[in-house]
Amino acid sequence: MAISFEQIEQHLKTEALKLLESGKVILVLAYGRGYDANHPMPYVAKHPSDVDNIVFNEYCTANLARYLTRYPRRTKIAIAVKAADSRAVVQLIQEDKVCREDLVVLGIPVYGMKNFKTGEVIDSKTTGGLYNPVLYDILLGEEVHGQPVSSPYDVLAAYEAMDKEERWAFWQRELGRCIRCYACRKACPMCYCDPCFIDQNKPKWGEKSPESPGNLMYHLTRFHHLAGRCIDCGECSRACPVDIPLYLFHKKVAKDCEEMFGQAAGMSIGDKPVLVNFRVDDSDKILE
Amino acid sequence: MLVLKKTTIDKLPELAACLMEKGTLVAPVKEAGGFNFRAITDAAQVDLIFHNTILSPKTVFFPQTEDFVRYSVYQPILEAKPVEPEIRPTFLFGVRPCDVKSFEIMDIHFTRTGVPDPYWRKRRDATIIFGFAFDTSEEADPAEFYHTLGIGAADPDGSDVFMLRRDDVLFLKAVSPRGENLLGGLAGLTDAAPDERKYFDDYIAQGHDYKTRYTCVDAEAIAKEFEAIFHNTDFWTKVSNACLSCGICTFVCPTCYCFDICDETQFGQGVRRRVWDACMFTDFTLEASGHNPRTQVYQRLRQKICHKYSFHIRKYGPISCVGCGRCTRYCPVNIDIFSIVEQAVQAKWYKRM
Repeated sequence: MAISFEQIEQHLKTEALKLLESGKVILVLAYGRGYDANHPMPYVAKHPSDVDNIVFNEYCTANLARYLTRYPRRTKIAIAVKAADSRAVVQLIQEDKVCREDLVVLGIPVYGMKNFKTGEVIDSKTTGGLYNPVLYDILLGEEVHGQPVSSPYDVLAAYEAMDKEERWAFWQRELGRCIRCYACRKACPMCYCDPCFIDQNKPKWGEKSPESPGNLMYHLTRFHHLAGRCIDCGECSRACPVDIPLYLFHKKVAKDCEEMFGQAAGMSIGDKPVLVNFRVDDSDKILE
Repeated sequence: MLVLKKTTIDKLPELAACLMEKGTLVAPVKEAGGFNFRAITDAAQVDLIFHNTILSPKTVFFPQTEDFVRYSVYQPILEAKPVEPEIRPTFLFGVRPCDVKSFEIMDIHFTRTGVPDPYWRKRRDATIIFGFAFDTSEEADPAEFYHTLGIGAADPDGSDVFMLRRDDVLFLKAVSPRGENLLGGLAGLTDAAPDERKYFDDYIAQGHDYKTRYTCVDAEAIAKEFEAIFHNTDFWTKVSNACLSCGICTFVCPTCYCFDICDETQFGQGVRRRVWDACMFTDFTLEASGHNPRTQVYQRLRQKICHKYSFHIRKYGPISCVGCGRCTRYCPVNIDIFSIVEQAVQAKWYKRM
């Protein structure tokens, strides 16, 4: 990386302080100290004196775009985003859930982020193969160039090698241990439905108990609701307490979408969401 | 004096097989996501090389789903059949001392107040608990704080048999008369030597010196502080800014006991069952009228923390938390319950270690 984590933290503090002092934003979504250095947590700085609490290190994986829809419109917000997170911001703008004018996007060009539960480097798994944010107003550092770029779909190799029956068995096994804590949907920046279909009881769409049919109902519906919208931040899989590799399904659907419609989610605010946008020459493969 | 028995780790399957003959053995098993307590089907599954399980052992007495009544929508209501739980003598093997302590707290709710819960009580009565000391040679896990709440790393209280591992040797000592009866009848265990008895006793005593993150706390003082700041919305908003309002912390918690009664019907055949619920879910407090008294994340987090560290103390005495650290360890955004307690009491009368 051109600059270190400490330098990013310094830049983040400087910019947050400027924005809060000038009154351009009323809050900055960033990262703060957790219960130890390896466990930072999302942090909301509202006052210039809060800026001292901002941190940034390799464990700051949380996608802060998740919190954007929590604030009413016309709330001026500055948000720190890494590559995948910036795609979530773009996708939320495309879906008209947040206004571009309300946001100051602080882009963080970074690689080598680590899962704080396992210490594993997440780059090749769930960053969409990007190191630089696709949208930013202020870049905290310099763009990353020359770092080997891995295709976001490389990790699908083993999954794609499975046939239909094997995949069915795979998901039944993996989703069988789901405890229905709903951390996946709560950590997901694109899961903003209120109420979520699974919480509705008039009519009731799925069962609450953590058993196979209800689990499949919940996850498969969520998977498909995120078709063409998942921006590959991997938060669902990292949030899962029982380690279900949810990202595999999302990636597979994202890959299919990209192949069929030539568009990845959240890459440009000029795009229309892929499943909203009908074109006469759209692929019919989906109907086969 | 009760004798100290021992066996070796490689003979664990033999001990497991012995217990499986007498009833159901429930022990930590390594699964794809980590360790969990499961009913053992193959004696070789038992694995004691673990720190702690993902879900707490409350699952043994209070499973995530419990069926009460089976019915058919085509038949009159009187034809509905109650589901009798299948309860066999059970051996709950390898429970950490803080988790053993959680059963006492849960007993308050399931057996000592209101209508006793027959499911909890029958299972509890049928179960012999094998407590298992933490390895004090390891560095304390940063998420845990059982010591803060007065629970030792090797506290035999509440167990029927207490176990301790020293390299390849597993020591077992009866703590209760039930445990003594059981150990006396188990083949394959040998008596420990006098120096090993001393090691065992010293280890248990030193368990209280094994420090987790904080110094000791005073339940009354905490309850008072939380009462004082209950209406301080700024404080609660600040500590809940990061909270995603998912259910991980309550589901992995050994002392959370909220549930929902659901009727689940498929093709006309239904079951009325209870399923764990979580105060962090939006629909937890949704009333039939459509009104929801807790729509904000801060209200829900405040409820969870005040229940454990304020209401519970006032109503029943003990703090409803054993410091196992699961909520902190599995929180996707690293919210730490004890840091919130720490901020609430403004570090007036205790200090960080």
